[in-house]
Amino acid sequence: MVPYTDLFIWWAASISSSSVFLTLVSIYLYMDSRARRMEGSRAAASTGNVGKNFIFVWVLLGLLFFYIFSIQIGSIGIFAAGNIVVEAVLILYLMIYRKSGQI
Amino acid sequence: MIGISVVLGFYNEYKAEKIVESLRRNVSIKAVVTRDGKSYQTDSRLLVPGDIVSLYVGDIVPADMRIVECKELQTNEATFTGESFPVEKSSERLDVQHPIPQQLKNYLFMGTVVVHGSGRGVTISTGRNTEFGVISTSLTRSHPETEFQRGVKKYGSMLLTLTLALTIGIFSLNAAVGHPLVDSLLFSLAVAVGLVPELMPAIVTISLAQGASRMSKVQVIVKRLVSIEDFGNMDVLCTDKTGTLTEGRILLKDYSSLGDDKDPRILSYSLLCNTAVVNERIVGNPMDIAIWEYAVKNGVYENASFTKVDEIPFDYQRRMMSVIVKKGVECILIAKGAPESVFERCRYAEAGGKIESISTVLNSINDKFLNLSKLGYRILAVAYRFADVKTSYSTEDETDLTLLGFLIFTDPPKEDAHQAVTKLKKMGVDVKILTGDNEIVAGKICEDLKVPVKKVVCGSDLIQMSWTEIKTVVEETTIFARITPEQKLDIIKALKANGHVVGFMGDGVNDAPALYEADVGLSVDTAVDVSKEAADIVLLEKDLLVLADGIDEGRKIFGNTIKYILMGTSSNFGNMFSAAAASVFLPFLPMLPMQILFMNLLYDVANMTLPTDNVDEEYTKWPKRWDIGFVRKYTLFFGPFSSLYDFLTYGIMLFVFSASAPLFQSGWFVESFWTEVLVIFVIRTRRIPFFTSRPGKWLTLLTLSCVAFGTILPFTFLGRFLGFTALPTEYWLLLVLMVATYLLLVDAGKVFFYRICRF
Repeated sequence: MVPYTDLFIWWAASISSSSVFLTLVSIYLYMDSRARRMEGSRAAASTGNVGKNFIFVWVLLGLLFFYIFSIQIGSIGIFAAGNIVVEAVLILYLMIYRKSGQI
Repeated sequence: MIGISVVLGFYNEYKAEKIVESLRRNVSIKAVVTRDGKSYQTDSRLLVPGDIVSLYVGDIVPADMRIVECKELQTNEATFTGESFPVEKSSERLDVQHPIPQQLKNYLFMGTVVVHGSGRGVTISTGRNTEFGVISTSLTRSHPETEFQRGVKKYGSMLLTLTLALTIGIFSLNAAVGHPLVDSLLFSLAVAVGLVPELMPAIVTISLAQGASRMSKVQVIVKRLVSIEDFGNMDVLCTDKTGTLTEGRILLKDYSSLGDDKDPRILSYSLLCNTAVVNERIVGNPMDIAIWEYAVKNGVYENASFTKVDEIPFDYQRRMMSVIVKKGVECILIAKGAPESVFERCRYAEAGGKIESISTVLNSINDKFLNLSKLGYRILAVAYRFADVKTSYSTEDETDLTLLGFLIFTDPPKEDAHQAVTKLKKMGVDVKILTGDNEIVAGKICEDLKVPVKKVVCGSDLIQMSWTEIKTVVEETTIFARITPEQKLDIIKALKANGHVVGFMGDGVNDAPALYEADVGLSVDTAVDVSKEAADIVLLEKDLLVLADGIDEGRKIFGNTIKYILMGTSSNFGNMFSAAAASVFLPFLPMLPMQILFMNLLYDVANMTLPTDNVDEEYTKWPKRWDIGFVRKYTLFFGPFSSLYDFLTYGIMLFVFSASAPLFQSGWFVESFWTEVLVIFVIRTRRIPFFTSRPGKWLTLLTLSCVAFGTILPFTFLGRFLGFTALPTEYWLLLVLMVATYLLLVDAGKVFFYRICRF
């Protein structure tokens, strides 16, 4: 981390901003869908409960903290292991949705 | 672009000219005109209002004219009004408020054909001022924009706004943090180029051309490529009845006795009392032809033993004809005609071999006749009596007849029409019938095709409605009967204004304006030239089931086009967003302009086979729409995924590998390219997980080849020329894990996104 230490805060802010932006977009889309459902628009769909819908956002925010942490300590091993764990979680999540066929 | 515009402009003009020429060919005919008391033949184009024109059987009416005298005049107006049966004309004054063409019995329309009798008319309007001319004029304007073209235009505006905002923002930020102005400008321009899906015209054209080629194999000819996607997205199909849903010709459906039996004499007598000429072909009055065709088809005629003695021809006062035939010593007068006229001349009625006075059974006979009429059939009655042998007979002999039964005529639905309509309904396409024919006949066709009728509206009702009322009524109406070509046009416009993608199928002259106005104009090979010219798509086979195949094809093409747009816009937006952020805080450019453009080129190559990609079966089940709001949401949602992993790569390159500018740029190039290209496999389907949908083999092959090329690029001479350098082994391990997580995360994002944003 020698040459670019001074950039770390910029970098952390940038990667956080993209995650926060994505979270905000998700909230906006969710609210927009709810509003349209209340208006009875046919475009609106069942949105289910917030916790379940936002699983991917929780994963995303978890990933963000993990990425910042692993990059800060500069450990390739931790980074690799963390990614493998997250992939396993995501595959499990996707398989559950495949079964329920909710889309 | 200017060149393309010129070519398109020329093409439109040329097409319009062809339509006009076709109209002209249709009506370039001779007419017998009377001027200043002298009668002579002249070219119909030289007619002027006020000319008296004489018309005989077989003549094409050369202008719109008011009939001044006529004798048993009948015209075929099928191509003009949709009425399959010949229309009886008269010279009498009509007292109708807001008449529609079908009601103008004392009027002749240019382009219609005299099929019976003769008459004289005074020319009212000629050329472009005729009803026919009005249609031709409406076709010379440029083709209205299709739903797909409107969607592309909106998408272009959205992209322009986004590109301008990002370009100006990136340039300003770079300049503000002290980067050289020229470098900042080149970088911001490269970013702008990266955002533009420059391959879109090629992708769309390849998709459309391939679709057109596939459709030609099922005998569907696409004249205007851009209409294919609207063909797939169409949610309302308005169709003419005669010749499209129906065979467009009169058939004898059956014959019926007055009782429960079926007396074969009804058929054999009507063959004797018949004016059709039977040689190799059967020619003559359509109804007489239909009787002969029925007999030949069923092999149920036996009249060789009869000798014709005399004939009392059809006339409009009697609305019937009679023949006198002899068999052995027996002489029989057979009458055939309009039931009301025949009933008046009957004294008896025969049912089940039993003859009784007609007065006792007249009510039940009338009921039977009215019930058949209400079912949309045309009915003729057949009666007979034994006659004295004489040398000549007159209408006075048509008395004391014995009513034998009815002949039932129809213009039958095409064999596959029911199947086609059912299939369309399953595909989410609402079918509406727009016909110049009457509401009873149209209702019968709906019944035969099992189309549920919500509401029936006639042209005379429509004429009194405001535009707002028309827009409301088109939503809830299934049958529009007795409507004019202009009203067909209004209905199409109203449906389009209500946000539908509207198809129109027709084959007559009266259908041409609606065919031109609809998002998708469909015609059949047997249609008049004008209709075929005005249509976007022509069905060469009578098989209506190909409509469903065409719609399916259109949906696949639209699906692949939308894939490219969604992928390109979202991943480009994400990459460019991260490039813009990096350019501000990094001491060097995150990627050189040339590297950005090269990546863009490689990405486009990877997408070249997208038109050949498989489309999930469930995607083509329902019509889709261009929804720019959806594209915007998609971009906003999926773009940041790519940014997130770009930023992660920056972190790895800067803080794990302490990368120099070339190493950083190489690392980001490979990561950005991998994520941008491989996400195709996730985004191309809505299925969860994405690998449950099989991509097209060419797409897989080319995409993976491009990924392989992008991977080895930094190690090559070309890579060095572009400013890349070899990447460390550990990076590749991290890259594989990172990209795998990215793809799975995007797939998980799809679960959320598609649950709340339907498309």
